[in-house]
Amino acid sequence: MMSTEHGAIARIWNWRITAFCALILLAVAIMAVSFGPISINFFKVFKTLFDLPGGSTGQDRTVILELRLPRVILGALVGAALATSGAVYQTVFHNPLADPYLLGAASGAGLGATIALTSTHHDLHAALPIFAFLGGVLAVFTSFVISGKFFADPNSLLLSGIAVGSFATAIQTYLQQKHSAALRPVYSWILGDLTSASWGVVTWSAVYILIALVILFTVAKQLDGLMLSDEEAYSLGINPKKLRIIAVAAATLATATAVSASGLIGFVGIVVPHLVRGLTHRVTNRSLMTIAMAGAAFLVLADLGARTLLSPAELPIGVITAFVGAPFFLVVLRNRRKVMQ
Amino acid sequence: MSIVVTDLTVRYGEKVVLDDISLEITHGKWTCLVGPNGAGKTTFLKVLLGMAPYSGSIKDRGAEVFKNHQRNVAFVPQTPQIPQGMTVAEYVMLGRSKRDGWGNDSLASRAYVHKVLTQTHLFGMQGNLVSQLSGGEMQRALIARALAQQPELILLDEPTSALDLHHQISVLNNIELLKENGVTVISTMHDLTLAAMFAEKIVVIKSGKILLSGDSNTVIHSPELKKAYDNRIDVYTLDSGRPVIVANKEANS
Repeated sequence: MMSTEHGAIARIWNWRITAFCALILLAVAIMAVSFGPISINFFKVFKTLFDLPGGSTGQDRTVILELRLPRVILGALVGAALATSGAVYQTVFHNPLADPYLLGAASGAGLGATIALTSTHHDLHAALPIFAFLGGVLAVFTSFVISGKFFADPNSLLLSGIAVGSFATAIQTYLQQKHSAALRPVYSWILGDLTSASWGVVTWSAVYILIALVILFTVAKQLDGLMLSDEEAYSLGINPKKLRIIAVAAATLATATAVSASGLIGFVGIVVPHLVRGLTHRVTNRSLMTIAMAGAAFLVLADLGARTLLSPAELPIGVITAFVGAPFFLVVLRNRRKVMQ
Repeated sequence: MSIVVTDLTVRYGEKVVLDDISLEITHGKWTCLVGPNGAGKTTFLKVLLGMAPYSGSIKDRGAEVFKNHQRNVAFVPQTPQIPQGMTVAEYVMLGRSKRDGWGNDSLASRAYVHKVLTQTHLFGMQGNLVSQLSGGEMQRALIARALAQQPELILLDEPTSALDLHHQISVLNNIELLKENGVTVISTMHDLTLAAMFAEKIVVIKSGKILLSGDSNTVIHSPELKKAYDNRIDVYTLDSGRPVIVANKEANS
């Protein structure tokens, strides 16, 4: 990779892997639309999706366009959001095990969702995504304020994130126990699912997630500077404090949106960045777009598993991602220790 | 041609870290800041990086340029934050960021990085991860990144403190390389002997004030220097005329 042509170091940026991941994502998406309780021919799906002659009609067409397609798109959006935010958090906090829920976004959203689900006003149930979103954003914001000095020290932010998260979880557990009728919906929400997917949900989550991703892709190259000390970053021409706030705010927007659309889907934010890094041998933030594609493909696949493994019943998607994610997490930990020795 | 610092004061809250200091830094020379820990040396470097708000003025060729971070200033930290998964070539390429824009490794920059890696004897290791470099190699990679930056000014915070003698000399020689490229060098250093050997000018800072500054030889042999260290140092002169400064155990406190 680092050969010397014409006395120069080889180019560092490479688009091929990103293009490869995009192709995989497309293939996985078409596969996911084809499989399910009713299997539909691959080519027919392809033709239906692109409105070519010879596509499905009637019930099959409805299944493809109104049930499966929004679900696959939502899965891809949520996967891309979680994987990218995870990668960004890992860079910002100099911690390869950081995940998007680190600053209390998950617990905050969990509390918001529980408030909606345990409320006596049934109208509020429909507003669950809004409650979850506000809860997540509010928790991260509180972590910022408590840590003081707005990012003078990433570690203090991390610690206050943990404290805020625990506090929110405590209230959430209290509410959940008090309203035992809500236990089941709360529990299934916490494990994450994409069953709520409709074009409406897809539209609003796409808006927020795409805004966040565009911001993150725009600053991705500069994130290299956050891997250094603040003094070094300054000397290389970036303001690390400002950049950290932009990066964390965008990652939080993506995470909170993902969580409010699909509940708490764990491990994607850790597994995918490390997987891509392991396969491409690139610095995490330099593969941000690849990580987004891989995250999307991973979650669409996991959802396919959730829908089909116990068909016609559904497994919570969080179970699948954790089943793959937890052992992987341990391998990463092990290798990391090896490097440190 | 010089950088003129006049009445520079830096406060962290109530605490005055640099107290009304004035000095002149000659371009193309090596100025070394010495003094006990906590004297304000690192803060002075941060001011030149544009990171610390200050009162007073710092003028370079008559223009106030350090407030808004308009100068191309390279910085070599005492303990660098080592990025995970980054190769030596990528690390050194970061030095080109301000010139090229982040991530736009132009052909000219890649050729320049090749040259710099050769100069610092890192060529052949460009594909290695920086996290796996030894202390001496890491220091060379830092200097290489500073060279790649083609700065007007380089700041080094204790460049030799973590190195063995052999590597100390090799790093200091690399810094001379920067100076040969016309870069103005400002460093902090604990080792007075090395400071006297390499720097043209020494500034002694204690408790935020300048006690003494001037030509290296004059400063090293001045009785004021001993006072700055509470009479706990001795200065010997070798037959070659080179001064050696050692700690004095017996001196009263």
